[in-house]
Amino acid sequence: MVALARKTLIYEWRRFLPAVLAVGFAGLLQLLQAALVLGIFGGAAVYITCSDADVWVGYPGTQSVDQGHPISPDVAILLHMDPQVDRVESFLWVNGDWHGGGTGAVSVFVSGIDPGPHGLMFVRALSPRLRARLTAPDAVIVDRADLGKLGVAVGGSATINGRRVRVVGVASGLRALGGVNVVASLETARRLDPDPVDAGRPTYLVARLRDPARASFVVDALRGHKGFGPYEAWTAQAFTRRSMLFWLFDTGAGAGVLFLAGIVFLVGAVITSQALVAAVIGSVREYATLNALGVGVRALRWVVLEQALWVGAVGLAGATVLGTLLILLARGEDVPVVLNVPVTLGCVLLVLALAATSGLASMRSLRRADPATLLR
Amino acid sequence: MITSDNARPVPALVARDISKAFVSGQIRTTVLDRLSLEVMAGEMTLISGPSGCGKSTLLSILSGLQSVDAGVVHALGERINDMDKRALERFRLHHTGFVFQGFNLFPALTAYEQVALPLDYLGLHRGVARERAEAALAEVGMASRMHLRPMELSGGEKQRVAIARALAKEPALLFADEPTSALDADNGQMVIDMLHHIARRHGTTVLCVSHDPRLIGHADRLLTMEDGRILEDRRATRTVDATLATESR
Repeated sequence: MVALARKTLIYEWRRFLPAVLAVGFAGLLQLLQAALVLGIFGGAAVYITCSDADVWVGYPGTQSVDQGHPISPDVAILLHMDPQVDRVESFLWVNGDWHGGGTGAVSVFVSGIDPGPHGLMFVRALSPRLRARLTAPDAVIVDRADLGKLGVAVGGSATINGRRVRVVGVASGLRALGGVNVVASLETARRLDPDPVDAGRPTYLVARLRDPARASFVVDALRGHKGFGPYEAWTAQAFTRRSMLFWLFDTGAGAGVLFLAGIVFLVGAVITSQALVAAVIGSVREYATLNALGVGVRALRWVVLEQALWVGAVGLAGATVLGTLLILLARGEDVPVVLNVPVTLGCVLLVLALAATSGLASMRSLRRADPATLLR
Repeated sequence: MITSDNARPVPALVARDISKAFVSGQIRTTVLDRLSLEVMAGEMTLISGPSGCGKSTLLSILSGLQSVDAGVVHALGERINDMDKRALERFRLHHTGFVFQGFNLFPALTAYEQVALPLDYLGLHRGVARERAEAALAEVGMASRMHLRPMELSGGEKQRVAIARALAKEPALLFADEPTSALDADNGQMVIDMLHHIARRHGTTVLCVSHDPRLIGHADRLLTMEDGRILEDRRATRTVDATLATESR
C-alpha cells in the first residue's frame, strides 16, 4: 500500500506545520495545565500522600484534610482492636499565625506528628534524621520554598500564635494550598494550639495496616460503633480524592480548569482543521483524479483522517518532549507539578480527539474533489 | 481497427438521445442536445470541435463522471446512467482510465508510487500490483525514471506517468481530455503515439477529446462537434480511401 497520507505529510511538511504546531501546543497546554492542577490541588492532600497511613479517621463529613475537627482519642482503641491494624498515630492540625523575620503575619498550618523513627506521617517528605530533630522542644520544619515567605533561615526563630518556634530543618514537597505547612512534633503542636477545647484531642487518627489492600474492609468495620463520639473513617485513597475534589470544585478552580481545557481544545481544533483544509485543497485535483480512476470518496476521506492522526501523533511527540523538559524545569524551581498515568493518557486521548475532529471537519473540503471539474 | 472482415465491431460505449444542460442563475445553457453515439471497442476515437461545443461534457458523461438530464448511456454493456455514486466509482475503478490535460500527480509520490496507488484500491496482490506498475511505466518509457518525483520530471514525462497510471489498471476504456495541450510538439507527438499504441496493443477503447490537429491522423474515427451535436463522423480508413480515390481520378 502506498502510504499517501504519511508521504505527503513528510514531503509537504511546511504545509502541515501550522497544524502540527497547533496540535502540539494544544497538547502541551493541556498537559501542563493538568500537571499544575494535579500539583497545586494535590497540595491539598500532601498530608495523606506523603504519609504511610492506609486509614484515616476524622470528624464526620470532613470534606478536605485541612477542614478537620478534633475527635475523641478513644477511637484509637477501636483501631487497635482490628487485627489488620499495625500501627496507630495521632495527627494534630493547628491553624496559626506566623510572626518573624519582619514579614508580618503569615497564615500557617501546623501539623503535629509523631517524630519517632517509625512514625507514619510525612515519611515521604522527611528523612528519619530530619524528623528526629523535631523531638527538640519548639522545633519545626518547613518547605525550602517557603523560607522566603516566612522570613527565616534554618536555625532561625519565629513565633506561631505567640509561642516561639525554631526552624530546625527544611524539606521539599511540603507546600500547602492557601497557606504554609509547618511540621512539628505532637508535643510542640499542642503547645501552639490556643484552643483549650482541643486539648488532648487529635484532629485525625491514622493507621497503617498489615495489608494495605484491606483498607476498605477495615474502614467498613469501623462504622457504626457508638460511645466513641462522632468520627468517620476513610481509606487514604478516598480521603486524598475527597480533599482534591473539594479544592478543585468547591473553590471554582475546577470549573476554570475545565473551561480553559475546552477553550484550548476549540482553538486547537479550529487552527488544525483550517491547516488541514488548506492541505486538502492544495491536493484537490490529485484527489479528484484518484476519484475519476475509481478510488471512492470514502477511501479519500480515510486518507485525510489518517493525515490528521499523523499530525496529532507528531504534535503529541513534540508536546511530550517539550512538556517533559518544562515539567523538569518547573520541578527544579519548586513549582508544584505532578503527572500521573491516567491524566497523561487522558491528555493524549484529548489531543488525538482534537486531531480526529479537525480531520473530520476538513473532510468536507473533499467535496471540491469532483473529477468532472478536471475536464474543460 | 482490429476487427476481422466478417466480424461486426462491438460498441463499447453507447449513448442514446442524451441531453445535458447547465443552469447558472436564471440562465439555462443546453450543452448536449439529444445526442446519440456509438464508440467501437478497441478503437481510438477523437472528438474535436470549438470550445464550448460540449465535447468535454460528452466525455464526462460517457465515462460516468457526470449524469445526464435525459437519455441512456451504456458502457461495456452496463447501463451507467442509473448507477448510484458508489456503483459508478466501482465501475470506473475496474474499467476506466483517465488522462487529463493537467497531470495531477501527487507531489510527494515517486512515479512508481503514482502508478501503484490506484492499484492498491483494486485489491491486487502486492506482487501483481508491482509487476503491473513497472510494466506500465516501462511501456511509456519511464522505467529508468520511476523513482523520481514530479518535481524532477519534465512535462512530457509527467504526462507519461499519468498515462502509465491509467494504463496499469488495464482498463477497457481509456478517456483522455486534451492530453497534449500542455505539452510541446515533441512530447505531444509522443503522447499521441502512446494513446494510439494502447488502443492497438491492448484493444483498449480510447476516447480522446482534443483540439490538436496532429491527433487526427492517428485516430480511427474522428467526430466533429458543434453546439452540442455531432456535425461530422469520419473513419480514418474511409478518409484514406477517399484520398486514394481522388488521386486515381
